[in-house]
Amino acid sequence: MSRNPDVIVIGSGGGGAVIAKELGEIGLSVWVLDAGPWYGNCKWPNPNQHRGAESSDDPKDLDGNLYREQITRREGDMNDIVTGKFRWGPADRRRGPWFRNIPDQAILWQNAGIGGTTLHYYSNSPRPYPHSINHQWPITYEELIPYFEKVEETLPVEFAPTTSKEAVFYYGAERSGFSLNDSLDVSTVGYRPQPNAILPPNEHLMDPNYSLEELSHMEGCTLAGHCGQGCPYGPSLEKMAKRSTNISYVPLALKTKKVTFRPNAFVTKVLTEMNPSGEHQAVGVQFRDTWTGETEEVNAKIVVMAAGCIETPRLWLNSDLPNNPWVGRGLTNHYMDTVTGTFDEDTLMNILGQPEINPFVGHTSGARLDYPGVGMIETLGESPGLTAQQLFGFSQAGYYQYNDASKPGGRVVGEPLKEDMGDYRRTLTLLAITEDDVQYRNRVQLDPHIKDEHGHVPLVHYKPSHQDEKKRDYLVEIATNILKHAGAKSVYRSNLAPNLYIHLESTMRMGFVVDSSCEAYQVNRLYIADNSVHYNSAGGVNPTLTTQALATRTAEKIVEKYF
Amino acid sequence: MRSTAPQDYTLSTFRALANTLIPPPTNQDELESTPGASDMCIYEYIVYALDHYIPIQTYVYQGNIPLALPTALMINEAARQYAYTNRPPFSYQQATQSNHHFFSSLSRQDRIQTLAHLEDLNLDLYTLPTPFQNNAGLIKHVTDALNRLTLFGYYSEWSSYGSTRLNPPDERYQEFFPLSWYHVGYPGVSLGYRDFRGFLLRIRRNEGGR
Repeated sequence: MSRNPDVIVIGSGGGGAVIAKELGEIGLSVWVLDAGPWYGNCKWPNPNQHRGAESSDDPKDLDGNLYREQITRREGDMNDIVTGKFRWGPADRRRGPWFRNIPDQAILWQNAGIGGTTLHYYSNSPRPYPHSINHQWPITYEELIPYFEKVEETLPVEFAPTTSKEAVFYYGAERSGFSLNDSLDVSTVGYRPQPNAILPPNEHLMDPNYSLEELSHMEGCTLAGHCGQGCPYGPSLEKMAKRSTNISYVPLALKTKKVTFRPNAFVTKVLTEMNPSGEHQAVGVQFRDTWTGETEEVNAKIVVMAAGCIETPRLWLNSDLPNNPWVGRGLTNHYMDTVTGTFDEDTLMNILGQPEINPFVGHTSGARLDYPGVGMIETLGESPGLTAQQLFGFSQAGYYQYNDASKPGGRVVGEPLKEDMGDYRRTLTLLAITEDDVQYRNRVQLDPHIKDEHGHVPLVHYKPSHQDEKKRDYLVEIATNILKHAGAKSVYRSNLAPNLYIHLESTMRMGFVVDSSCEAYQVNRLYIADNSVHYNSAGGVNPTLTTQALATRTAEKIVEKYF
Repeated sequence: MRSTAPQDYTLSTFRALANTLIPPPTNQDELESTPGASDMCIYEYIVYALDHYIPIQTYVYQGNIPLALPTALMINEAARQYAYTNRPPFSYQQATQSNHHFFSSLSRQDRIQTLAHLEDLNLDLYTLPTPFQNNAGLIKHVTDALNRLTLFGYYSEWSSYGSTRLNPPDERYQEFFPLSWYHVGYPGVSLGYRDFRGFLLRIRRNEGGR
C-alpha cells in the first residue's frame, strides 16, 4: 500500500467504488477509505468480531464462499437497523449504530461497509428522465448517455425477468390504459420491467434436473428474493447475480493493482491548505480506525468525497471548509408512499394460474411505471419483517383503526395487522416515488449539541412541498387504480411519514457547491462522487445509475485537469 | 441475569406495549399458530434496541444512551395524562394501586390512543423524563420507533434465536423456524424459486441501449 496515493476516495458505495475503478484503470494510485466492514474478503474472516487486517489490494483476497457464509439472508441478521450487518454503524455489532438526529418519525436506510448502501439496494438502475436533467442541470442528458452506457455494460444492467408479481402488475397497468415503454430514455408515460443490475436467470432455472442448491452456485439470478439481504448466489464473488459495487466495481478496481481499500476507517476531516494564489485546496484526510480509535492522516493530490448525502455535507462542515450556504441544503428523498392490494385466489388463478403471488419471489423490485413530470411507481416485495415495518408500522397518519375518514392510511395494529399479514402471500405492494422539489429548508446540518466519536452528528430535516404532496397523491391514485384493475379485492395505503430516506439526493448540488465536473467551487482538488451532487431529484427515478455515470465522468475530468 | 425493580418496570411496560400492538389470539387454540408479540418476548427485543439505539459522546465517555427506561417512564406518564383527561374517574388511588404502571392498566384501545396522543405531542412535555422532557422531535421519533420495532421484531426471525436471542448479534443461533414466518407463509431463507415467466423486454446494447 503506497503511502500518499494520487487520490483518496471517501466511501465505497454506489459512487466511490466506481470512481476508484475508473481512476485505477487510468493508472492513478487510489486509496478508498470506508467506515464499515468488508464482507467476502479473506483478510476479514470475522469482520464483525475482530479488526482483522488493515487493508486489501489483491483480488485474490475476495472469497465468494466466505461471503455466502456471512450474508445469511435472514432479514433480522442482515437488515435490523440497530444490529444488522447492513446498517449505518461500526463493524462491531455489539456497539450501537452511528446516530443521526432526525427529530421526527423517520427511517434512514443507509449502510457502512465496502459496497455501501448498494449492499442492500434492489439494484434498480434506470436512467433519469431527460426532462429532469435538460435545461435544469448544468450538464445535458445527452452528455451523460455514453456514461450511462458504460455503467450499464460494466455492472451489467438487464431488464428484470417476469415472475408472478411483475405479471400481475403488467396485467393491471395494461388494463388501466397504460402501454409498454420499450426504452431506456424515458419521455413518455408507460410501464416496463425495471432495468436492474442483476444477472439474468440461469438458463437451467426451470429445469428440475438441476437442484436449486446447484443453481445457487452457478451464474445467474435464482429469483430467491434476497436482493435487500445482499444475495450471495453465484460461482464466485465477482460473478454473484446481484451487482452491488462490492461485487461489480470493487473486484475490477482491485484488478488494476492500483487501488487499495481500507475498511473500518471513518474519515473525520478533509485537510486543506492555502495555495500561493490564496485558494483553498485539498491535500489529504484525517481518519479514525473504528476498532482501535487511532487517528491517522494521509495526503493525496486529490480527495473525492463519496460518503453519501448525509455524511458528505457533515464532513464538509466538521472540516471547517469554506462557508457555502448550499452545503447540506436542498435535500430530496422522493417523498414515498406505498399501496398494497390483496387478491383472492380465483382472481390470481385467472391471471397467474396459481392462487398466490408470493411477493418474496424474484427481484425485490422488478417492474415500474414511469411518469415523467410526476415520478414513478414500482413493485416492492420484501420479506415479512421489513414488509410489516414499512407498510403497517410507519405512517404520518396515526393508527388506521382510530382515524376518521379525512386521514387516509395509518398504521395497522392488533388483530387486523395479523389478518393483513396473514394474506401476505396474496398481496402486491406498489411504491409511489415522487419527483420532489429542491427546497432550501430541507437539509443536513450539524447538531450543535450532540457529538459522537467523529464530531458533531448530522441533524436532518425534510418537509415536502404542497406540490410534492399533490404529486404523491396522484401517484397513489394511479397505483390504486392499477391494483383495482388487476382485480385486488382490497387496497390499503400506508401514508408513509415524509422522513423516509431510501433515495437521498442533492445536498451538495452541482452549480451551487460543485461545478459541472463535480469539483468543489471553493476547494480545489476536492471532488464529490455521490448522490449529493445531483442538481435535483432526477425526476423521481432511482438515483444510483445517475451517480455511477457521473462518477465515471468525474474520473475523466480529474485526469484531464490534474494529471 | 439478576432481576431489578427498574428492569421489571421497563419489561412490564414493553410487555403491555407488545401485547397492544400484536395481541394474543382471542381463541386459545390459535396461540401456537399466531401468538401475540408478548408471547414471543418481543418486549426484550424492544428493550435491547432502545438501549443500543443512540450512541453518543457524553461528558465522560463514548457510550450508548440507554433509552428503554426513560421511554417506559414516558409511556406511563402519557398514559396517566391520557386517563386523567379522557377516562374519569381514573383516580389517584387507582393509579397508585397499579404501582405507576399506568400504561398497562389501560384497555388496549386506550393504550393505542395514548401512543397516538404522545406522537401528536398532545400532552405536557415538561412532565416527561430526560431526555424526552420538552424534546418534541425525540418523542415523535421514539414513539414511532416503538411501532416499527415491535412489528420488525415479531415478523423477522428474531424470536427464533430462542435461548440465544439476547446474546450479542454474532453469537445468536436459530433454534427453530420463526412462528410468524410460518403464520404468514414465508418460506424463509431460499436458494431460489422456479417462477421464471420470461422477459417482457431485453436491452439491445449494440443499438446504444435504446
